[in-house]
Amino acid sequence: MRTDLTLGIAGSGGDGVIVAGDFLVWAAASEGLYSFMLKSFGSQIRGGESSCKIRVGEDPILSQGDKLDVLVAFNWKDYAKFRSELEIKEGAVVLCDSADPTPDEDIPLPRSAHPVLYKIPLQQIAASRTGRGPGKNMVMLGVLSEMFGFHADAIQAALRKRFQKKGDAVVDLNLGLFEAGAAYVREHVQRRDQLIFSYRRAEPKMVISGNEALALGAIAAGVGFFAGYPITPASEIIEYLARLMPLYDGVWVQAEDEIAALGMALGASYSGKRAMTATSGPGLSLMNEMIGLASLAEIPVVIVDVQRVGPSTGMPTKSEQSDLQQALYGTHGDAPRVVLAPADVEDCFTVAMDAVCIAEEYQLPVIILSDQFIGQRKESVPKFDANRIKVCERPVPGPGELSNFKRYLLNESGISPMSFPGIKHGEYTAAGIEHDEYGNPTSSPQMHEQMNAKRFRKLETLRRRWPYVRRYGSSGAEVGVIGWGSSKGAIKEAILRAEEHGIKVAGLVPQLIYPPAYEDFEAFLKPLKKVIVVEMSYSAQFLKYLKSSYRLPDDVVLLKRSGGIPFTVEEIYRKIEQEVTGGVRV
Amino acid sequence: MSDGSVKQFKKEVKPVWCPGCGNYGVLSAVFQAFGRLDVPREDIVLVSGIGCSSRLPGYVNVYGFNSVHGRSLPIATGVKLAKPELTVVAVGGDGDALSIGGGHIPHIARRNVDITFLIMDNSIYALTKGQASPTTPFDDITTTSTYGTIDEPLDAVSLALAYGVSFVARGHSADVKHLASLIVEGIHHPGFALIHIISPCITWRGMKGYDEIKERTYYLDERHDPADKAQAVAVSLEKERLPLGIIYRERRPTYWERILGQREDAKSRGVPSIETLLNQFVP
Repeated sequence: MRTDLTLGIAGSGGDGVIVAGDFLVWAAASEGLYSFMLKSFGSQIRGGESSCKIRVGEDPILSQGDKLDVLVAFNWKDYAKFRSELEIKEGAVVLCDSADPTPDEDIPLPRSAHPVLYKIPLQQIAASRTGRGPGKNMVMLGVLSEMFGFHADAIQAALRKRFQKKGDAVVDLNLGLFEAGAAYVREHVQRRDQLIFSYRRAEPKMVISGNEALALGAIAAGVGFFAGYPITPASEIIEYLARLMPLYDGVWVQAEDEIAALGMALGASYSGKRAMTATSGPGLSLMNEMIGLASLAEIPVVIVDVQRVGPSTGMPTKSEQSDLQQALYGTHGDAPRVVLAPADVEDCFTVAMDAVCIAEEYQLPVIILSDQFIGQRKESVPKFDANRIKVCERPVPGPGELSNFKRYLLNESGISPMSFPGIKHGEYTAAGIEHDEYGNPTSSPQMHEQMNAKRFRKLETLRRRWPYVRRYGSSGAEVGVIGWGSSKGAIKEAILRAEEHGIKVAGLVPQLIYPPAYEDFEAFLKPLKKVIVVEMSYSAQFLKYLKSSYRLPDDVVLLKRSGGIPFTVEEIYRKIEQEVTGGVRV
Repeated sequence: MSDGSVKQFKKEVKPVWCPGCGNYGVLSAVFQAFGRLDVPREDIVLVSGIGCSSRLPGYVNVYGFNSVHGRSLPIATGVKLAKPELTVVAVGGDGDALSIGGGHIPHIARRNVDITFLIMDNSIYALTKGQASPTTPFDDITTTSTYGTIDEPLDAVSLALAYGVSFVARGHSADVKHLASLIVEGIHHPGFALIHIISPCITWRGMKGYDEIKERTYYLDERHDPADKAQAVAVSLEKERLPLGIIYRERRPTYWERILGQREDAKSRGVPSIETLLNQFVP
C-alpha cells in the first residue's frame, strides 16, 4: 500500500498529457489529498513533446518528489527527451501504449531499475470509440484509476465538470473512454495489491498555481492598477488580472513594453492607487531605470519577477534563481528597494499582500522574486484563509502637515507622508532628480547625502518590523542549510529525511531577501560549524550575497547548479549526509 | 476652485533656463492656460521626462512629476487612469518625445488617453550641450555632427497624424497668447492631444529657431477644417511654410470611456467576493 505516490506522464503535444495531469490533480484535491504537479515542455507554440510529474499524498507535499513510482509513456521517443526529469524508481510500474513500435530492448529505461512494464492498447481503445486518435489520455486515466485504486467517482466528477460546457455528448464520450480503460484493466490485467494507492478522504483542497495565487494576493491586497507586458513565465499573472481587475474597479493595461508597464504603475501609484506590474528576467532588465526612479522619488510599487533561465532569452520555460543580483543591485546609483521571495504556491498569495503593504508604507519599489517552478506548477493546498487578508494604507499628510508640506521630510524613520493629486496644499513635484525636502531639484552634495541616508533609513525601519525568515530542523545542529525561494520544498524535505536518519541539521529560508534580516541570520548561524548553501545559479549569486551580508562559518559548502530542473530531495539529502557524516567531499 | 489668476500657479523656484530660451514663453503660456481653466490647482498634474524643457513642472504650483528621459507618457497614462478626474499635461523636448520616448506616442494615440502632450522642440539636445536631436535639420553642424547631420529630421505633426492622434496642433513660444489658447483647446479635447511647439534654443542654435518662426510659419485660418484628415495631412506636408493652429481634431472614445464600458459589462455578470474567488480553485 502506498500513501505517497509520484507519477510521471510523457507524450507528444496532442496526447493530452497536461490535461490528464490536471484531472488527476483536480480529482486528488476533491478527495482532500495534497498534490504537486510540474509541467515540462519545450518553448514551442504547439505540438512538440510535453510531460508532467505529479506527486500525491495524504500529508502536505513539499517537493515534486524524486524518482517515479509510476511512469506513463504515450510513446518512447518523447519520453526519451524527459528521461533526466522523469527517472524511475527501482521496481517502478511503467504503462505504455502497445501501439508504440519500439522493441523492448530499445525502451529507454535503465534495466537495473527492473521496471514492471504494462503495454496497454491505449490508441486502439481510444480509436474504437472516437474513430480517430484523440482520447488516449482519458483511456489512460481509466487504466490508472483501476490499477491504483483512485476513486473513479472523483475523476469522473472532474471530467463532468470540465466538459460540461461542451455538452452531454462530449461528457459521455469522455466518460466512455475512461470506463473503457478501466474495463480493459479489469479484463486483461492482473491487479497487484502492492500497486494500490490507499488514502483517507479529507476536506477538499484548492488546486492553484503560484502565478494564480499571486494574482489573487494582489486582488486581496486591493491593487487598483496593474500594467504588464506578456512574457513567459509571468503571463498567467497578467492574464488572470486582465479578467479580475475590471470586476473590482481596478485598471488593467497591456503596456507597449516593460518600461511603459512600470512607468504606468508609477504614475498610478503617484496618483494614490496601489500599483503592480509583473514580468520575467528580460523585462526586469528593461525596468531597471524606472526602479531607480521609484526608489529616488519614493513611489510605492510592486514588481513581480517570475524568474526563468537566463541570461538573455535563455530557456524561457525553465526555472532558475539567477535574477537575484539584478533584483538586489539592478539600476545605477544607490537605490534602496525591498526584495521578497515566495517559497511555495501558498507563499505567492501571502507575499503578494505583504509586498503591497511594504511598498505602500515604505514608499519604495518591492521586487517579488518568484520563479517558473512555483509560478507555473499546480499544487493542491488548504484553502487560503480570507480572514488572513491584509490591506495596508500609505501614510498621507494630516491637515497639520499641509500648511508647509514637505513631501520628502527628513525624519527618523525615513518614512515621510505622501500626498497625491487631489489633496489641496499637498502639491509637490515628484522627482527622479535629487531634491530637497519640498521636492525642489538640488545638486547640493550635502542634501544628496542626507536624502540617501533618509531613503536607506527606511530599510532599517523595515528590517526591524518585518523579520521574515523560516527555520527548520534541529536547534542543536552544527550543520545548517540556507536556501531561498522555490528551493525551500526540497530543502525542508531533505532536512526532515536527514532527521529521520538521525542526522542533525538546521535549515533557514528567508522570505525577506533584502534588506538583510541580520538578527535572525545571526541567531541561526551562531551555533553552526558548517553551512550548506543551496541555489540554482551557476555563478553562486546567493552565496556571494550571503558572504557580503553575514558572518558565515569558515566551512561553507555550496550546492549550486544551473536551472532547468528543480532540485530533488535526494540531491540535497545526499549533500547533507555527506557533510554531516564526513563523507568524501566532491 | 481656481480664482482664475495666473499668479497662483507661479512658484518661487527660478528657472535654470538660459536668457532668451523659448521655454520661458511656453511656461507663460502654461500659466495663462491654467489660469483660464476652471480647475483647482490640486487637480492638475504636470508630468515630464528629462531635459531643459522637462524642468517645467518644477516651476508650476500644481502636482508635478519630473521623471526619467523619454518616459513621461507612460507615467502620465498611469496618473490619468488612476484618477481620471485630473487634468494631466505631459511636457518634454524633441529628444524626450521623439527619440528615446518615440515608441510611446503610437500607443497613447491608439488608446486615446485624455492627456495633453506639449512637445517643446528646439531641434537640439540642449541640456547635454549641443548634440544633434531627432529634429535637427539635415546637414546642420552640432557637437555630434561636426560634418553636418546625415540623418533626416522627424516631423512631430506628420507622425502624430500617421499614428492617429485625435488632436494635433502647432504653436510657438514667441506667441504666448496663441499657444495658451492651443493648450486650453488641447486640455478641453477629450482624448490625446499633441501640441508641437517651436521653442528656440539660442545658446546652441543662435537665432535660427526664431528666424524659422518668422520666415517659415503661417497661421491656419477658417479655410482649414480640422475635422478633415486629408486636409490636415496636406498642410502637414508643406515644408516651405509650417502651419500653426489646430491642424486636426477628432472626437472618438477615450481610453477611460472604454475602460468604464468594459468594466460595467464585466460587472453586469456579477462581482465575486474574495471568498468566491478562492472557491473557484476548489473542485
